[in-house]
Amino acid sequence: MTTPILEVKGLCKLFRMKKGWLQQPHYVHALNGIDVSVYEGETLGIVGESGCGKSTLGKCILRLLDPVQGEIRFQGNEIGKMNKNEVRAVRRNMQMVFQNPFETLNPKLTIGHILTEPLIAHCVPREQRQALLEETIEIVGMSKQHLSRYPHEFSGGQRQRIGIARALILRPKLIIADEPVSALDVSIQSQILNLLQDLQEQFSLTYVFISHDLSVVEHIADKVAVMYLGEIIEFAEKEKLFGRPLHPYTQALLSAKPITDPDDTREQIVLSGDLPSPSNPPEGCKFHPRCRSRMEICKVELPKLSEKEGHSVACHLYQSFAAIDSS
Amino acid sequence: MNEVTKTVAHGATQAKSPIFPKLAFWGKIKQQRAAKLSLMVLLLISVIGIIGPWIAPYDPTESNYEAFLQGPSAKHVLGTDAIGRDLFSRILYGTRVTLVVAVMAVGITVAAGTMIGVISAYVGGFIDHLLMRIMDILLALPGIILALAIVAALGPSQTNAMIAIGISSIPSFARLIRAATLVIMSSGYVEASRSIGTPSWWIILFQVLPNITNVLFVYMTLFVGGAILDTAALGFIGLGAQPPTPEWGTMLNEGKDYLSDAWWLATYPGLAITIVVLAVNRLGDALRDIFDPRTQK
Repeated sequence: MTTPILEVKGLCKLFRMKKGWLQQPHYVHALNGIDVSVYEGETLGIVGESGCGKSTLGKCILRLLDPVQGEIRFQGNEIGKMNKNEVRAVRRNMQMVFQNPFETLNPKLTIGHILTEPLIAHCVPREQRQALLEETIEIVGMSKQHLSRYPHEFSGGQRQRIGIARALILRPKLIIADEPVSALDVSIQSQILNLLQDLQEQFSLTYVFISHDLSVVEHIADKVAVMYLGEIIEFAEKEKLFGRPLHPYTQALLSAKPITDPDDTREQIVLSGDLPSPSNPPEGCKFHPRCRSRMEICKVELPKLSEKEGHSVACHLYQSFAAIDSS
Repeated sequence: MNEVTKTVAHGATQAKSPIFPKLAFWGKIKQQRAAKLSLMVLLLISVIGIIGPWIAPYDPTESNYEAFLQGPSAKHVLGTDAIGRDLFSRILYGTRVTLVVAVMAVGITVAAGTMIGVISAYVGGFIDHLLMRIMDILLALPGIILALAIVAALGPSQTNAMIAIGISSIPSFARLIRAATLVIMSSGYVEASRSIGTPSWWIILFQVLPNITNVLFVYMTLFVGGAILDTAALGFIGLGAQPPTPEWGTMLNEGKDYLSDAWWLATYPGLAITIVVLAVNRLGDALRDIFDPRTQK
């Protein structure tokens, strides 16, 4: 297989909690050894409950946050250690679509001005700018009359289209979409998702799609990574993961997905307890206090992500099977 | 003075912004009677500042030995001083001197304060700490004492008073701007800009500055009031504009020796200072109320 367009290896991110300058600094492990890769033209879905580090991962990939450890390879280049100017150059091919389109558009600038910003930032010649602006705004389903208006004149869906246009105007290779539809109405969500899919075909884009909404991820993703407390606990192609989830946490997540068929009598797994604080995670497998099939080993040893037939899972249940299989 | 009228003009040019539409702004100014009154007073005073020298009945520095220490009369509306200069003419000329000094001083404050505040908030880390600790040291001295020290070092003159007053209010202005910038820095659109790879100068110029202009203009107006007072105060203790320049504070100082014989000498310049400062502060308060979303009902 060809090399992945984006490859993340052993990525760690710590946040320092400062209590006072006399106290020992306290660290929160937001990301703990993340391994993930995306191939060109694919969509990687990242799911997990709030606070599990999904957005931190997205921001680390873009170097909006500096990772503490690990490698981020984009198109074969290691960007984890690049300096600011090199990172700025890389961002030409790697853009982000944000969650809240109300917050991420400057209320004092016109749409035209907002969309010109990436062109100025990456020194696109002045003569080409206008053509690119008009082309891009029409690609996302708006018209060039809109360019002279201000963000408050648009609806949520239109604003998100503008956000997508801003990410698209430089014709990047990779777009990181951080919950791009969760602030929108359901009817608008599907329009935006379809737009994203059309754009993917048209420009052979690669997406990293971060969401807490399983139905959305099932709709758009090719591969899905499930995160729990800063770790990836399951990673597989969409069909495999949704068809046969292995990790008890994924099973619980999928069982909580709303069912549209009233005759479907699926068992719903209810997780007890809350997400533990990431500043003080449990020993061993981080999921064990809430897991319904925990074993003794789970309380002491952290399971590693191990792969079998393209389906990776970090759980002792399957590691023992793998050991039996291989022996 | 011009700064204040500019404030209002800017509010109107930002009409397209969703937060402060033109109509709402004028509507609110009109709703507040005190603000409307202060605006009118300030407009009148700035007109006087401009055309004062042409409407003044006498030369402000020419002494008239036939009429000294005369009370208000038809010939000398506000009376004359110890060497027979017409008080009304001196106050008219003084309007320009006082306002120019105050507005230029605020100009210095705004230019330097905004730069320090924005840089401090934007760069953060060590630079932020360094700049803010320097500001803290300057803040430890009351503004007027700092201004006194600077004037004492530079030598008393109108220009130096202007510079001193400007510098002495930089620390508090820088702090306010830093706080406003930090709010904008944490907003989604600045993060979006950073994710695009936009250079810092563009973010500061087009993302941060347009969004702190409201705050900037409100503080600017409030600082003009303080600067007029400081100008007068420096003039009063003889470190501002030098006699015979007709400056309100200086006139107040000259008049204080004759309080028991000629009350009008100190009273009218004092009244002029009071009216201007009251009007500027009232307008500043009103602008703050209009622009601050927390006080909006």
